[in-house]
Amino acid sequence: MKEHLRAIWEYLKEISGENAYDRYLAVHAATHPGKPAMTRGEFYRWRQDEKYNNPGARCP
Amino acid sequence: MNSGLRRYGIWVIVALVGAICWGVLALARGETINAGWLLFAAIASYAIAYRFYARFTQNRVLGTDDSRATPAERLNNGRDFEPMDRRVLFGHHFAAIAGAGPLVGPVLAAQMGFLPGTIWIIVGVILAGAVQDMTTLFFSMRRDGKSLGQMAREEIGPVGGAAALIAVLSIMVILLAVLALVVVLALAESPWGSFSLAMTIPIALLMGVYMRFLRPGRVLEVSVIGVALLILAIFGGGWISESSSYAGFWTFTPNQLVFGLIVYGFVASVLPVWLLLAPRDYLSTFMKIGTIALLAVGIAIMLPPIQMPKFTEFAFNGAGPVFAGALFPFVFITIACGALSGFHSLFASGTTPKLIQKESQVRMIGYGAMLMESFVAVMAIIAATVLDPGVYFAMNANPALLGDTAQSAAQAVSSFGFQVDPQTLTGTAAAVGEESIIGRTGGAPTLAVGISQIFSSVLGGTAQAFWYHFAIMFEALFILTTVDAGTRVGRFMIQDLVGNVWQPFARTSWLPGNLIASALIVGGWGYFLYAGVNDPLGGINQLFPLFGIANQLLAAVALTVGTTILIKMGKLRYAWVTALPLAWDAAVTLTASWQKIFSTDPAIGFFAQRAAAVQSIEAGKLNDTLIALKAESIDDARQILVNTTVDGVLSILFAVMIIIVIADASRVWYGLIWGGKQPEMSEAPWEESHLDSEGKEIEREPVGAR
Repeated sequence: MKEHLRAIWEYLKEISGENAYDRYLAVHAATHPGKPAMTRGEFYRWRQDEKYNNPGARCP
Repeated sequence: MNSGLRRYGIWVIVALVGAICWGVLALARGETINAGWLLFAAIASYAIAYRFYARFTQNRVLGTDDSRATPAERLNNGRDFEPMDRRVLFGHHFAAIAGAGPLVGPVLAAQMGFLPGTIWIIVGVILAGAVQDMTTLFFSMRRDGKSLGQMAREEIGPVGGAAALIAVLSIMVILLAVLALVVVLALAESPWGSFSLAMTIPIALLMGVYMRFLRPGRVLEVSVIGVALLILAIFGGGWISESSSYAGFWTFTPNQLVFGLIVYGFVASVLPVWLLLAPRDYLSTFMKIGTIALLAVGIAIMLPPIQMPKFTEFAFNGAGPVFAGALFPFVFITIACGALSGFHSLFASGTTPKLIQKESQVRMIGYGAMLMESFVAVMAIIAATVLDPGVYFAMNANPALLGDTAQSAAQAVSSFGFQVDPQTLTGTAAAVGEESIIGRTGGAPTLAVGISQIFSSVLGGTAQAFWYHFAIMFEALFILTTVDAGTRVGRFMIQDLVGNVWQPFARTSWLPGNLIASALIVGGWGYFLYAGVNDPLGGINQLFPLFGIANQLLAAVALTVGTTILIKMGKLRYAWVTALPLAWDAAVTLTASWQKIFSTDPAIGFFAQRAAAVQSIEAGKLNDTLIALKAESIDDARQILVNTTVDGVLSILFAVMIIIVIADASRVWYGLIWGGKQPEMSEAPWEESHLDSEGKEIEREPVGAR
């Protein structure tokens, strides 16, 4: 039961973008070692602007 | 044999369950039939289609190759290109494609009985809609996430590409107008609904500031706060509607709401997204998924009996009071989302293909998410058909036919061949906390009454008014999110188009360009919204077919692109997988366009209506045709003249564009099949994948070495 709840919690975090910053840090460390990464606030502000400045479309 | 039995035994059982459910639906001769049969017929059909047809399409037709690196892997930048877990991506893709469409169309189509809509939703999604989504997703993925318009230009030619672009822009305008019209019709004269929807604006602003500055990236906690405030707002609306001093202030006429929506749409498009659009997006996504899940549970627990007959006479005589036109082609136009929606191809090309880990996952994400949406449409049709048919028609028929009182509405309903007594109508209105439910067209209020009956009966018959307004709020909220986002998408498209001619316009951060392009888009849908609300013949029945035709036009573009690419890949043998749905879609769309343009029945044909209006204006008094359509004055005739001219010209434009796209593609097909032309494809080259099916690196090597 506890494991299931944990899995659901992880899924929610993943799908809502809560842990997107952690993933960004991992990719950044691997691809640009030594260079400073964005802070959490910078990252999410950048991500939000990026998403809506290149909008896709949604179904009615 | 033994292993074969083990492998397929479960599918034999699923097939049997499905066959029995379909058999009961087709053969039952009782008064009512339980919604459970419909639910399980759908689920069994989806399961078999997903296991067999989708897998056939994936393996034989598309030939997905898991040793080939996807763009997400090759171009991974941790931003727009990023291999995403398939379950997470499924959630994102579903949230993106599922909007108000699958909820509105089935409700309107229910006037023909529950069976035509149900069959089209289930068969259509399996053979057409899900195939379109999956193939578009796959082809876009093979091209590093190119958009549908770009693919049309590269694979068919500049003419087909231009037609696709115009199609996208015009469908956007019509779509936004129709959706905004649904909101106006649901909120007019309803202080409860208006108040709770208006409260979503300050709630979104609060969430926006919280997420931007206070706790960036804490999406879950801010969403919990938002949803809690939203529920408070619904209770607040109930208090407002009871209050003698505030109810009047929050009661709006349709035209006041139109004005409000236009101003709101413009401001939302110009404001920075983090302030209003992004938080609203989170809020409506959570509400959407939550309500859909609740509805599924509610229907599964209650298994309500369906009150609507299998077929009504309107399926055959085309004289339906909700919208005019016979079963073929209008059921297939009215129900787009849930069965076949061209709009999805915009999302299947662009965002999602850049995030797929493995090629074979297009089946789960493209086909699977569309099956989910279809399931939502099935639930919508259940919610609309468990209502008393008399109540259904009293809510959805053209208001001009119903009159203003419960007595006149009940009389009109009996002239349609259904019975309802006036007390039932006033009683239903009182139960959901509204003044009246007569002539509340647009689909949303009907669905909300259906949902509130199901939810409140799960809870032992309480709180129906709360659930009604909960459902209205949920629909209005995500329609408004679509209006925000769609206006923005349209604004970018215009800026991009004009930017080709005049450079500064293309910079999306340039304020004058932003203002002008926003005003153009808002003006476009605002015009149709205003015309729809004031249409003397009822707006939704005039505009909804136009919206359906435009949407299916986009599907035709997507399926044409798919067929062209299949032929280029040397898969002519399997090109029927997209070519057959294309042929069906073209037949439906062109027949509907033909009837809308040339029909001499003034209830259907725009130009027949127009001629009657011209005649009335010249004679200075209404002629019999317009009187039969319930026009009331010569001013009505003038309005009908303008509306039918615009709608008629648009119908012609859509039909011509479908013909252009298909003709241009046929030229390409002919050249490839018989003309000995060498196929030129813009597919990205093959590169080996280093990820396993769970997205983990297979070979350990330093990232810089590649």
